Amino acid sequence: MWLWYDWRAAAVADDHGSILDVEQWDGFYDERTVVARLECIAAGGLTAEAMTLMERFPEAKPRVHGELDLPEADWPLPDDDAQHAADQAAIAMATRGVAQAAGDPDRRLEHLMRASDEMRSTFITMEARLVEWVGLFLPEARFGHDRSSLGKTVSESESLEHLSQTLGVSLPPVGPGKSEWKSLKEWGGSVSVFRGQLDRLEHAIRQLAEEHLPSLSALLGPLLAARLCVEAHGRMRLARLPAGTVQVLGAEKAFFNHLKTGAPPPKHGHIFMHPWISRSPRWVRGKISRTVAAKASIAARVDAFGGEPWGEPEMRLLEQKVEEIRAAHSSPPSRRK
Amino acid sequence: MGKNTNRRRTTMLSWSVMKESRALWTINAVPRTAVYGESLRNFSGTEFRRWDPSRSKLGAAIMRTKDDPALLLPEAGSTVLYLGAGHGTSISHLHDHLCGIDNQQRGRLVAVDLAPRCLRELTHLAKNRPGLVPVLGDARKHAAWGVLLPRKINWLFQDVAQAGQVDIFIAACRRFLNKGGVGLLSLKAASERWTGEGESALFDKVESTLESSGFVVDERIELTGYEDNHVLFAVRMME
Repeated sequence: MWLWYDWRAAAVADDHGSILDVEQWDGFYDERTVVARLECIAAGGLTAEAMTLMERFPEAKPRVHGELDLPEADWPLPDDDAQHAADQAAIAMATRGVAQAAGDPDRRLEHLMRASDEMRSTFITMEARLVEWVGLFLPEARFGHDRSSLGKTVSESESLEHLSQTLGVSLPPVGPGKSEWKSLKEWGGSVSVFRGQLDRLEHAIRQLAEEHLPSLSALLGPLLAARLCVEAHGRMRLARLPAGTVQVLGAEKAFFNHLKTGAPPPKHGHIFMHPWISRSPRWVRGKISRTVAAKASIAARVDAFGGEPWGEPEMRLLEQKVEEIRAAHSSPPSRRK
Repeated sequence: MGKNTNRRRTTMLSWSVMKESRALWTINAVPRTAVYGESLRNFSGTEFRRWDPSRSKLGAAIMRTKDDPALLLPEAGSTVLYLGAGHGTSISHLHDHLCGIDNQQRGRLVAVDLAPRCLRELTHLAKNRPGLVPVLGDARKHAAWGVLLPRKINWLFQDVAQAGQVDIFIAACRRFLNKGGVGLLSLKAASERWTGEGESALFDKVESTLESSGFVVDERIELTGYEDNHVLFAVRMME
């Protein structure tokens, strides 16, 4: 005996397909209720009608419409009006599903991350141009490593003379024209605006990463945690990756070159950004990145599957381990075998 | 100027779809509106939208088929299933054919896609195109949206570009397609496991899998030129 049901009706039939009993929902096809019913079926639940029939025929096997083992029978299928109501509900569900994508931190993090990358590359180009440009008019000016305030200084100067006074250098005889100086001044303004924007972007990434990936952020820092999450296409996917893949995430080119030509495999991908690896001597980087990637992979799983988030103590433990590796290999290995 | 020598050879494939030598046109179901920047043109008072075959695998298949291209289209006014809806390029033209202005043909087009990004376009499309039912869901999980197709259908299209697409296709056809119904499977070589024997061996294998699962492969349409490394299988379900 079979219990057939869809979102608006349920029926019981024997094995030969003769209908024994039918229950139909005769409410108005109001969108919210239809959506709730469709969702209930999608989650594998029984509708109210199916439940009623289940009580009447406890031995019937419940099957949602369309399952392949149901016998052929004259099931009470929806008429045009009912179908129209279901279609409207499906559109509402799709619209809501699309809107819910905005709540997905993986997608939000990806936009932030890519925006910050684009902003950084623009900022670096523009800042380099500014330094060259000012250097052309004021050859004596030296900026060294502290260029951070140059954009602001230029944008706040009234004229090249004013700028040369602020920078404490002499003014050469030839200077820019009026509109040329204005362009330079505005360029400086853009550079300083971009710097502020970049800081705010990174702040937003840090905040979101610490919320979305608390353990991984505690272990590797929020920016690197966010980078790994974005490169892996989402937190759940990152959690399912083996540690070896986490280790070379971001070094795909070298990795596939290794598979193709047998060149040495990459020792690290994005994880190289971490000072434990980038500040270590070359010969221990591979060892450290293996250890760090293994822990990072566990941290990602803790985050993705709702474990007790890691914090400072776990980070210290790993740091200690990294120190041990460094201490055990304090000198480069000999080149001879 | 002289006399008009620019006479086009056009054939109507259905009440709405017109085939020209290099492009397809469908009667616009939402007059004066382009969906993806395609050109609109009046042919003797009726507005058509240009169906760019290099942006739609269904369009490419209609251009490339050696059979009667009208066989690849569903019956106007019927209910069809489209798995892997994408951004709605093919969907919009299919809707033109299936439903027409204000769904005068009374067709239904259930379009399933997994990506919220794609569904965003489709839900916009659905607002002006009654008969189009977008579904945000996994093509493999029939339970979530299968109740939207209470009766079996005669036309199913799949373009999902993910591993195991042939199994997804076979499962969907068994559940939703009538005996003798047409199934179109757009296959991307790069989405299947590379066996090292080359593309045609890969497609041969798919063909034999389809045949052993109770399908008759009517035609294997190479889309090269429009969509490289893609093949479209036109099959009929026989079991």
